[in-house]
Amino acid sequence: MDDGFAEYVAHRHSWLCRMAYLLARDWGTAEDLVQTALAKAWLAWRRIEGNPDPYVYRIIVNTHTSWWRRRWRGEVPAETLPETADPRDAAAQVDDRAALWSAIDTLSPRQQAVIVLHYFEERTLTQVANIVGCSLGAVKSQLSRALTRLRVDPDIQTMNLEEVRR
Amino acid sequence: MRSTENDLRQLLNEHAQEKSAGEPPAHLDAIVRRGRRIGRTRRAVAAGATVAVVVTAAGLMNGLLIGSPSADVATLAQSPADSAQVEPGPKLPEKFSVVLGAERFDLPLIHSQRFETMGVARTVTFSPTSFSTGQKVVCDDPQAWVVTAQRLKSGELGGSAGRCESSVSSHHDRLSAPSDWLKRPQSLQVWVFPADAPVRQVAEVVTGCPQTPVSKGCDESAQSQALMRPEVRERLSAEVGERPGRWAVGVYDRPAQTTSGPSGAPSTVVEPPDDSPMPPTP
Repeated sequence: MDDGFAEYVAHRHSWLCRMAYLLARDWGTAEDLVQTALAKAWLAWRRIEGNPDPYVYRIIVNTHTSWWRRRWRGEVPAETLPETADPRDAAAQVDDRAALWSAIDTLSPRQQAVIVLHYFEERTLTQVANIVGCSLGAVKSQLSRALTRLRVDPDIQTMNLEEVRR
Repeated sequence: MRSTENDLRQLLNEHAQEKSAGEPPAHLDAIVRRGRRIGRTRRAVAAGATVAVVVTAAGLMNGLLIGSPSADVATLAQSPADSAQVEPGPKLPEKFSVVLGAERFDLPLIHSQRFETMGVARTVTFSPTSFSTGQKVVCDDPQAWVVTAQRLKSGELGGSAGRCESSVSSHHDRLSAPSDWLKRPQSLQVWVFPADAPVRQVAEVVTGCPQTPVSKGCDESAQSQALMRPEVRERLSAEVGERPGRWAVGVYDRPAQTTSGPSGAPSTVVEPPDDSPMPPTP
């Protein structure tokens, strides 16, 4: 409990739980995930130099991946994609958000981690690569595949901004 | 319907915020208790391998000394704890080829152990039968990282590190083996880490990943060198944690008093102490 561990836990626990929730999608599991990660970090606390965040994030991501492998996800392969809502339908927007949230759950744990670290934690791709323990190229590749699967188009934002400027 | 990056950002923030109302307070005591429990488990797992070997050796010795009535007990005790598996896991070669200058010879397998998890230190204890002893590690995933360490003649620890497929093995001879090599059981420490373990990152943080004469930057050669440092292995082990992953270690030596299992595969060798008579054969 020395060397700022208690202070770190008090300061960062809530945020870590939010981040873990986005990976685990269950508040109890998220708390368990964070507690496990902090317990592992506590064992190595005196050897951690500088900001412990990347180290703790990495443990969360690795632990989540390890737990993810053990659970049955109930995925059923289908030959065709399910019908999608009419893009002009206003009510479809709500469904779209729900669909997007569900689609994130179908990503691999590594892709989920990249999405959450980049878009929620606002980490740069280099920082994400450092946390998940792979090369920058691998992170870019994971991100690109994840966005394709989520049907998120990075170019749409640019087009919308241009429309607003007009 | 395609979404934007902003939609994604907003969605993640909303879900994190909406759940944050019910988020629990941090229980520092519970975290520390769990940390202590994890530490104890890691130490117990590492020590377990050693105890299993000692129990195996003791059981085998009982069988040899008492005779055939205890043969079944001895046979059971010989089986590694995790040997009752459907799939045999990675296969160890039957022989270990040694090339010493112009001299070439093969050493048979005298002892083997299998493991189902990686990420933690394992200790394998064996009784060498000569000064020419080889060890080899094989893994389900040939890209897994392997580190071995054992005592050298000088008293310091030596060993090897690298990818499992690159034949991580070592061999002792009269020049490298400690003087008590044949006088007591010897131990070999082995660490197997997953192929995607963050070796480079940990090496850079802990040691700066110094270059070796044959490495370029922090390449695999430099990473292997860094893995020989205990502090790198310790940190990597803490980060990776214990994970499923099958591997096996084999010890090869000149044949001595061997006992064979039902399959005929040699499993353990009992080397009598120098000052005691040979145990009676059943």
